[in-house]
Amino acid sequence: MKLGLLIDLDTCVGCHACAIACKEWNASSQVSGALSDYEPFGAEPSGVWFNRVRHYEVGDYPASKTINFPLSCMHCADADCVSVCPTGASYRRADGIVLVDQDKCMGCNLCAWACPYGARELDTVSGTMKKCTLCVDRIYDVMLAPEDRQPACVLACPTRARLFGDFDDPDSEVSRLAAERGGFGLMPELGYAPVNRYLPPRQPQPVLGEDDPRALLERGLASLASPVIRR
Amino acid sequence: MKPAFSIIFFTVSSGAGLGLLALIALVDMLAHGVLPSYALWRGALLGLGLVAAGLASSVLHLANPRNAWRSMVRVRTSWLSREAVAAVALFVAGAAYVLLLTRDAAGAPRVLLGWATCVFAWAVLVSTAMIYASLKPIRQWHTRWTPANYILLGHWSGALLLATLACAYAAHAGAFLALAALLGVVALAAKLAYWRAIGATKPALTLERAIGVAEGVRGPGPVSVAHARLLDVGHSHGTFLTREFGFVVAQRHARGLRVVALALGFGLPLVWLASGIAQWRAALAAVACCIIGLLIERWLFFAEARHTVRLYHGDPRT
Repeated sequence: MKLGLLIDLDTCVGCHACAIACKEWNASSQVSGALSDYEPFGAEPSGVWFNRVRHYEVGDYPASKTINFPLSCMHCADADCVSVCPTGASYRRADGIVLVDQDKCMGCNLCAWACPYGARELDTVSGTMKKCTLCVDRIYDVMLAPEDRQPACVLACPTRARLFGDFDDPDSEVSRLAAERGGFGLMPELGYAPVNRYLPPRQPQPVLGEDDPRALLERGLASLASPVIRR
Repeated sequence: MKPAFSIIFFTVSSGAGLGLLALIALVDMLAHGVLPSYALWRGALLGLGLVAAGLASSVLHLANPRNAWRSMVRVRTSWLSREAVAAVALFVAGAAYVLLLTRDAAGAPRVLLGWATCVFAWAVLVSTAMIYASLKPIRQWHTRWTPANYILLGHWSGALLLATLACAYAAHAGAFLALAALLGVVALAAKLAYWRAIGATKPALTLERAIGVAEGVRGPGPVSVAHARLLDVGHSHGTFLTREFGFVVAQRHARGLRVVALALGFGLPLVWLASGIAQWRAALAAVACCIIGLLIERWLFFAEARHTVRLYHGDPRT
């Protein structure tokens, strides 16, 4: 099994709901302990997050596009964060989920250095490394309704830009969508075999020039319609 | 990378101690009698002390040192684990070796422990170097010049300490000064080669590759070759990632510090060696000079390293 996330960069609106839902669910996690906040009500609040959303602009105006980019653990099949760990605190389960045993971690930071994606963050309160658990305490919980046995970030996404599934199963929804729409992993050249897949954003539509016939038609129609609409 | 003083001191101090231990054992094994055994055991003890000080400093770097004892369980995959195991083996062999040297005991145990001390010292030195060299997200470290630097700089600073011992205790220190000078020149060449290697642009990763749009934004219609830039980093204040990986040193300052590191770490000690003044006071000054130079060199090793996480925070390339 290779459990992981499929993230659609075309429909992600960058609302950070996934990151907030993640923080909310895992703040009381039995798997990784609390996600500490540093000075949450101070002048410079900071803290541990498993999932961060950043925003980029790709291409040059007028053919440019904003890409909202959520990033969390890729649950790499060949994870260096696991092999560099000297204490055996970092491990990869048979279902593909990479976890940190909080009782064994000595907080040396080496796994965070070995992760190219910045998916691991040191909690300075507990002195241990924290990372995405793929909500392992949700996805197998038989007390939850079957449709709720998914990571909190997936359930929270308002545009359904996040999907959870098994990438080892070619018939799973995530495998099918990744194959259909050219899903890609991040920085495969580093050789970590990341499991999470991103669906590419659509080609940006260039803004029409002033004297483009389509723009003239658009303005003509607008001037005809606007007296009617404004009335 | 954040230049944490605990690790900078650790690598410089234990590097010098490990180089000294390996050289002392080699001198004892291959050129027996060149140094009196009371010079050898004092040197070996100093070497063990420098390594112990370094390791103690490295424990300060841990956020949860209570679990430090666990660090020896993953020797099969982890260079940090291998370093810990080799360090323990070195202390056991080294302590026994020092004990035999204080009694000037001859025979098989001394030879065996001498070689063991040398091999374990090399094992620690190589493991420390490989911790950095094995990290693929940091191209300034993921190069063969990283282990070459750690091994040679350790032996260069160790050889200066050995030359100091020779000036104080040996009848003829000339050979030790020559050995130090040779190691100094080779280590200097390796350091320059390292800086040349990390200055090359070829293995660099770009922001476009990091977010998967290196071939432009795909989809219907022609592909636009796009370059990307950060619009918003998503957090309002610093995070673990910005604190750990966000450190930058201005090119201008880095160049200046490289000159200082070269002058103190190599230039002045080599000038002393060339002068042939075999006085232990002069030797100690050269050692102090070299250690300060190497601390600056090690600070740069961290400060100039650029982790791929920086791409997601808006760096155009690593």
